[in-house]
Amino acid sequence: MQYQTFLSKRYLKRRWAPWAAALAVALGVFSLISVLAVMEGFKLEMKERIRGSLSHVVVKGSAMRMLVGEDPLLEAARETAGVEAASPFIETLAIYRSTVLDYCILRGIDPSSEPKVSDFGLYLLSDEEIDRLQADRFLMLPDDRPPPDPQRVSEMFSLERRRQMLRWRLRGDPSVGFDEQAPPQGLVVGIEALRSGRLALGDVVQLSSYSPVSYEPRIGQFIVVGAFQSGVYEQDQRWAYSDIRALQQILDLWDDEAQDMRITGISLRLSDYSQANQIREQVQQEIGRRMELDPTDGDAIPWRSMEIKTWEEQRENLLQAVEIEKRIIAAMMLLIVAFAAAMIFLILMLLVIEKNRDLGVLRALGATRSGVVILVLKQGMFLCITGAVFGLLGGWLLIENINQIHELLYLATGVRLFPPDIYYLEKIPAHLRWQDMVLVCAPTLIFGFLGSLLPALWAGRRDPIKALHHE
Amino acid sequence: MNDLQPSHPVLSARGLCREFSLTEGRSLEVLRHLDLDIHEAEMVAIVGLSGVGKSTLLHCIGLLDTPSSGQLIYHKDGQTWRSPGLDEAQRCALRNQFIGFVFQFFHLLNDLDVLENVMLPAIVGTPKAEWKQRKHEVEARARSLLDTVGLSGREKQAPGTLSGGERQRVAIARALINNPRLLLCDEPTGNLDSNTSEKIHTLLRQLHEDFGTSILVVTHDPDLASRADRRLAMIDGRFESAADGTDR
Ligand SMILES: Nc1ncnc2c1ncn2[C@@H]1O[C@H](COP(=O)(O)OP(=O)(O)OP(=O)(O)O)[C@@H](O)[C@H]1O
Ligand SMILES: [Mg+2]
Repeated sequence: MQYQTFLSKRYLKRRWAPWAAALAVALGVFSLISVLAVMEGFKLEMKERIRGSLSHVVVKGSAMRMLVGEDPLLEAARETAGVEAASPFIETLAIYRSTVLDYCILRGIDPSSEPKVSDFGLYLLSDEEIDRLQADRFLMLPDDRPPPDPQRVSEMFSLERRRQMLRWRLRGDPSVGFDEQAPPQGLVVGIEALRSGRLALGDVVQLSSYSPVSYEPRIGQFIVVGAFQSGVYEQDQRWAYSDIRALQQILDLWDDEAQDMRITGISLRLSDYSQANQIREQVQQEIGRRMELDPTDGDAIPWRSMEIKTWEEQRENLLQAVEIEKRIIAAMMLLIVAFAAAMIFLILMLLVIEKNRDLGVLRALGATRSGVVILVLKQGMFLCITGAVFGLLGGWLLIENINQIHELLYLATGVRLFPPDIYYLEKIPAHLRWQDMVLVCAPTLIFGFLGSLLPALWAGRRDPIKALHHE
Repeated sequence: MNDLQPSHPVLSARGLCREFSLTEGRSLEVLRHLDLDIHEAEMVAIVGLSGVGKSTLLHCIGLLDTPSSGQLIYHKDGQTWRSPGLDEAQRCALRNQFIGFVFQFFHLLNDLDVLENVMLPAIVGTPKAEWKQRKHEVEARARSLLDTVGLSGREKQAPGTLSGGERQRVAIARALINNPRLLLCDEPTGNLDSNTSEKIHTLLRQLHEDFGTSILVVTHDPDLASRADRRLAMIDGRFESAADGTDR
């Protein structure tokens, strides 16, 4: 069964057309692999950034009734095995007026425990960093900044900081109308709000919202004391953080029935996120158990409806959009591979026609039908596999050096294929997964096989006598 | 050659029929109850008008075509194969080992050089596992065959650059590489001028005597026919007389 190898070598040695088919396969695999790797890298990067500003798991009450019993809630969560930290939060929509009228998603957090459940502490910028980021509109802080000081968040919302900002503000504009002894509440906004010029450090803004308790409009005065950069554009533009206690006061969240302040929910950090579903189940049980207890019991949590979600579930739509985008692109790009397989098909058909006589001679010399089928099939699969291997290799090389290549392209043509202001990325992220390689190679080989099988079967069915009849 | 010596027939055909079905339900009977024995070390020539079915007979004997009815029996070293009754693998093995083909149009593979063309039947017939150890033996035999047909030193040449006579010599060497029992030649010199033809005829006769291979040759060439041990005239799908002895 080795004459097939022998003959295939001789046939392929003298022809360039089959190699064009192999090249087409290589190009198809190459582009598919690169695109999938970049999409995957992009997805991971997105995910990482979204994850950073969210905690692993969130226990959330309904929008109107919210949750009460902050202390026993936190206690219940912290006592559950697998929960590393828990922190309360409030979330509301607010409108403010600066140069324009705009809205923000206002999050009230506990400055001391929030850094333990999310990366907010890491995203919080120093004054010097804010200057740098405002100077360069596309600058993104590197991931490997020194770990934040756990006190930073508390300092940011402290009276001291608010006074300092106000003092600095009053020097420029004495008409702000606040006394240094009683400064407004601190507000940390996203860097894009500063970059777009809507707000500036030290600005005193009036935020309007509604109290979910009294349904009355509520107004609070805040001073911009800091900024953060999460890397997710939408968040950096719209999210704002304040101290949870101040926000509770402003929104008038006192719950008469429970004789306690309401909160939107609590954020949890898990020791092992892969266990999220189990741990969530346990937290749910523990909180449920406490909600059943007699209200006089110290552990009791007043009953409210609630839901527990992982951060991925919270941002399901966004994450799924990226995933679906990736799938659609992969499906479209598979057309390239199918096209390459069609090329293999055509070239083998031509080869069978051209070598019709040779195949007849082979049959006369003792080759079996299946031997001839294998001869053609082998060539097709050889071309396909060679193409796939080179495509993979090329894709891998590109992915390894994608940023250097992008930089070279930029220097040569002055065009940025991947503008940092749109994707908010300094570097093109790329991540090659073996699943994606399988996803690319399996259809390539299947298409290649089908493309080779038809000409091969056809070659096997040809009548050797007819082939031998004419010169 | 001694005609009187009772030797085994290498090939026997009994009641061979071959019909081609044409359109409108009609059919063309090409071979009609044809009987033929070819003995060991015998050279038989078949002559006949064009279209009488000589090539068809050769294809049937060479197991490329299937007779409509009748039997073919092959003998080798006390072994017997009967067709019908052979599976595809056996038919291919017989084509490879038992039979050698020489065609009117040479049919060399242009992508291989001369030596590789001669070795081709051995390459096709040898399983992968055995090839490594057989390779040198096969190559040596191919070289000696090329030498016999007068083409030593041309091993690496491309077949496209050979003259017609040289190509046919290569084809003959190729047909003999597996040391077949029976050489089937279909108008081997039909495409060559008389001078070259004569040389091929001499070569065939000489190889026949040297190797003792039985030869069945279809020809229109009286010179080649006259060199055969036996000459059969084919008329109307069968032989004119079953044992028409030669006059030389
Ligand atoms: N596949 C086929 N279908 C129909 N008829 C066929 C087929 N093959 C051969 N024939 C017919 O069978 C007859 C014998 O053909 P064959 O080729 O055997 O003749 P031949 O004796 O070899 O002639 P020549 O000397 O010209 O080569 C011819 O009439 C031919 O038309
Ligand atoms: Mg003929």
